[in-house]
Amino acid sequence: MKVDNIGAPAQRLGGIDRVTGHQRYVADLPIADTLHAKLVALDCAHARILSIDTSVAEKVPGVVFVMTADDLPTPMPRFGPQYQDRPVIAEGTTNYHGEPVAAVVAETKDAAEEAATLVKVEFEELPAIFTVEAALDPAAELIQDPSIRRPGPFTETNILTEYHFGWGDVDAMDADMVVEHTYAWPMQTHFAIEPHGYIAAPDGDGIIVWSSIQHPYQLQKTVATVLGMPLSKVRVIAPDPGGGFGGKQHPKLEPLVAFMAMRAGRPVRLILSLEEAFQGVRRAGTEVKVRMGLKSDGTLVFQDYVNRFLIGAYGDTGDRISAKASFLSAGPYRTPAVRIVSQAILSHTTPTHPYRGFGIPQVTWARESCLDEAAIALGIDRLEIRLHNLVRYGEEHVPGDTPADGDWAQTVRKAAEEIHWGTPLPPGQGRGIAIGVKSGPTTGLSYATVRFLADASVMVFSGTSDMGQGARTIFAQIAAEELGVSLDRVAVVMGDTAVVPYDQQTSASRSSVLMGNAVLDACRDIQRKIRAMAARLHDVEEAEITVDRGVVHLPDAELPIVDVLKAGLGRMGGEVVGNGEARKEAFPDHPLGGTALFFEFNCTACDVAVDPETGEVTILRHVTVGDVGLALNPVQVTGQDEGAAIMGIGHALMEHLILDDKGRTRNLGAIDYRIPTSLDLPGELHSFSIENADGPGPYGIKGISEGSLLCTAPAVAGAVRDATGAVVRRLPLSPENVWRAMKEKT
Amino acid sequence: MQSFGYRRPGTIDEALALLQEHGDAARVLAGGTDLVIELRNRWRRPKIVIDLKRIEELRPPIREVEGRLVFTALAVMSEIVADERVQLHFPALAEAADVVGSIQIRNRATLAGNICNGSPAADTAPPLLVYGAEVVIAAKNGTRRVAVDDFIIGPGKVDLQPTELVTSIEIPISATPIAAAYTRMTRRRGTDLASITLCCGVDATGTTRLAYGSVGPRALLVIDNSGVLADPAASDEAKAPVLASMFSAASPSPKSMRAGPEYRVAMLPVLGARALRTAIERQTRVP
Repeated sequence: MKVDNIGAPAQRLGGIDRVTGHQRYVADLPIADTLHAKLVALDCAHARILSIDTSVAEKVPGVVFVMTADDLPTPMPRFGPQYQDRPVIAEGTTNYHGEPVAAVVAETKDAAEEAATLVKVEFEELPAIFTVEAALDPAAELIQDPSIRRPGPFTETNILTEYHFGWGDVDAMDADMVVEHTYAWPMQTHFAIEPHGYIAAPDGDGIIVWSSIQHPYQLQKTVATVLGMPLSKVRVIAPDPGGGFGGKQHPKLEPLVAFMAMRAGRPVRLILSLEEAFQGVRRAGTEVKVRMGLKSDGTLVFQDYVNRFLIGAYGDTGDRISAKASFLSAGPYRTPAVRIVSQAILSHTTPTHPYRGFGIPQVTWARESCLDEAAIALGIDRLEIRLHNLVRYGEEHVPGDTPADGDWAQTVRKAAEEIHWGTPLPPGQGRGIAIGVKSGPTTGLSYATVRFLADASVMVFSGTSDMGQGARTIFAQIAAEELGVSLDRVAVVMGDTAVVPYDQQTSASRSSVLMGNAVLDACRDIQRKIRAMAARLHDVEEAEITVDRGVVHLPDAELPIVDVLKAGLGRMGGEVVGNGEARKEAFPDHPLGGTALFFEFNCTACDVAVDPETGEVTILRHVTVGDVGLALNPVQVTGQDEGAAIMGIGHALMEHLILDDKGRTRNLGAIDYRIPTSLDLPGELHSFSIENADGPGPYGIKGISEGSLLCTAPAVAGAVRDATGAVVRRLPLSPENVWRAMKEKT
Repeated sequence: MQSFGYRRPGTIDEALALLQEHGDAARVLAGGTDLVIELRNRWRRPKIVIDLKRIEELRPPIREVEGRLVFTALAVMSEIVADERVQLHFPALAEAADVVGSIQIRNRATLAGNICNGSPAADTAPPLLVYGAEVVIAAKNGTRRVAVDDFIIGPGKVDLQPTELVTSIEIPISATPIAAAYTRMTRRRGTDLASITLCCGVDATGTTRLAYGSVGPRALLVIDNSGVLADPAASDEAKAPVLASMFSAASPSPKSMRAGPEYRVAMLPVLGARALRTAIERQTRVP
């Protein structure tokens, strides 16, 4: 039986439960005897803690205890994905608005909340640093004590890390025209609809931690380290998160909840409010200064960048985001000389976490906007200048890195065609186009186990988290295809480190490629065992048999793989187990530690109308085209493309965290942090895939989940400029900012 | 959620007795779309919540009484949006009620609550001001009637004693109908709080009533009797200085997150002119 799963628009596994409210998130788990925790934080960005009086709070009926730094081991355990600098709870000082100083544990949520208002913290508010300029002032307070920094040239500054990338000699290049501008991208928040939730429970001589986390195995390691337990005693259960967007990649409050559960000897749960989630994770704000040198025919001769990423009080992944994004600053354009300086700058703000796009949207905003400036100044069409400089298939855009892994001009031409580039628009309307390119993972390791059961049903075990991107469906489609069963006979088990084998992470649009290859490898392992069975059953040499996509090819016959399984297992039944592995090896000499496994390449184009009196922007038609290799599930590709495009439109038009003059976040929560609603969508939204089956994943797929938001902002801003002549270099393109730019122009 | 006492009176008199007994320590619940948030966030800590939803006298649907359209204290936004008399006589109120929160909020939020909260950004305040609405207030010793313009005082402040209860909001169905339109400025098209709320109405005598909110401590009503604004034949250039003068009392807060004061001030005449145009179109359509 040949089942054609690849390229089929299979219905999302778990999709109906997700949209009808039946899916169980961490907050929905009925765990008996659970205590409730509530965080206590100060209403300031930076403070010295003088004393914490918990006596009144502890008298609230139902309160079990109040946890502060005094109740934790000395020295304070610190952790983090790159730098072990984040304390389990604030000790001595608080370094961002919302950093917890205490946590109440009580029999009920109401008691915990009531008591949290009664914890008396005496503190001295200190001046907070929350801008690039203030952080780089030589007289600025050091946000991190050098004792928790890795020794290096910047330890005595607020620069966590600085990188220098590039090639050629920018200063020696001869350009006919140089364009230079600075582009700002504000801090933003992930706004996953499910706020972060955590439960921890002692389990014999170990612990179970439930978390809405993208990387369960990283959480296992973190909890094991801070509690001093072997990995085998830490079980992480990660129910499918309700959206992650990078904000749920790394551990944050799980160590605190784990310590509280160990102290209580009972399960403890902490479900964050949306406001607390905003204070827990955010996207880096950036200031990118670009200098571009060009020949008068539009040929790029140099690109020169200074990228400043304002990260938070703890390193988290701020360093990696700034480095990986900056490395590709020059984009997919053939450029003889490139110089990139990238800084990750500490501040008294919420730690920067990965966010869909991993810094690429911020640098792309600068590059693509500046390229528009150059094209307009030179009188060259904005599409033509891009096609003119775009690298060809197989050509390196960054020397020494993976060369262009797709026919990228095909993607750009498709976008131009679909937006009807070159056709006239009525007055008050404008058109924009931009290109984004992002490196996929530079290293990676995924294991998968597939069990082919006696009734020809299949279980796939994977450490990937399905946070809405549809990973379950993809893995099921691969297993169904390879083992020749229908999709409804496949179960995908995820999110439990006691059950599924190791996976490094769910990020970087990697899962369909890396975990997909691991699942495919596990299916191939089963196919080899089926081949041995067939050889035994039919008395044929193994070498004469091939097994492929659900079919056993014998020298004189073809049999469904399922028939061989059933005959081979016989009356005893049982199962055939396959193990798979996929790796992307590191390259220690590469500036990023590894080359790109693949690129996400996108071209976005749009038509907008701008209200000449109010500055309101309406996106009339939005086109996004991605080079996906192959759409393993076209409906899911479209879903990811549309979701990313809409998210990118939110970043372009309205999203920004607003800090007050003391560094406190003012727009915490859904009232004043605006994301697009259905009424804010483009009049038309079209997503297209370029499919040449040239990716490194199963059947030629590439990762696709971020492409459609990489260059949304410059495409929209370019269209606004085309409509009005107004130039906005500081997002968002809010009515007020566009109105101001229109006024300044005249 | 914090702990608080809860009472559900069956009559207005019972509710008034409870208010008499608890005064400042009581908080009245009608739709609860603001109160529940305040309770959950511990911004307000009443000892007792008095739920009005079971008071039969406050439950009758929107009705016409002696030339006035009467909205009892429990009338919710979605009822107002759907009511044909509102659409016919007071379309600007229907437009304003239709953008309060989301559908779920509009099914709970009351017109009376929107006004009693005293929010400078209350969407329904400008149309109620333009249409000359009145608030009917009950107390132990009788009932009084106050124009909405006098009822609204400032942010969170209205002319209502802790022992008093708003029982209805009433709009006169005038012999000289006011043709009005509502508009507002938001950060996005979907559910949002407004950075400007604005209603403009014209009548056959040439009077223009303009009310606007979210640009100062309370929504303001300004009346132009010159006839220039309401004149369908007058040019935009002739109207511009009159219109600009209508907004002289605007004082948007520089601390607002929604939009800067300079932008808000600049947008008032833009929105004013648009609402005026729609109002005049509606006026000319009046048979």
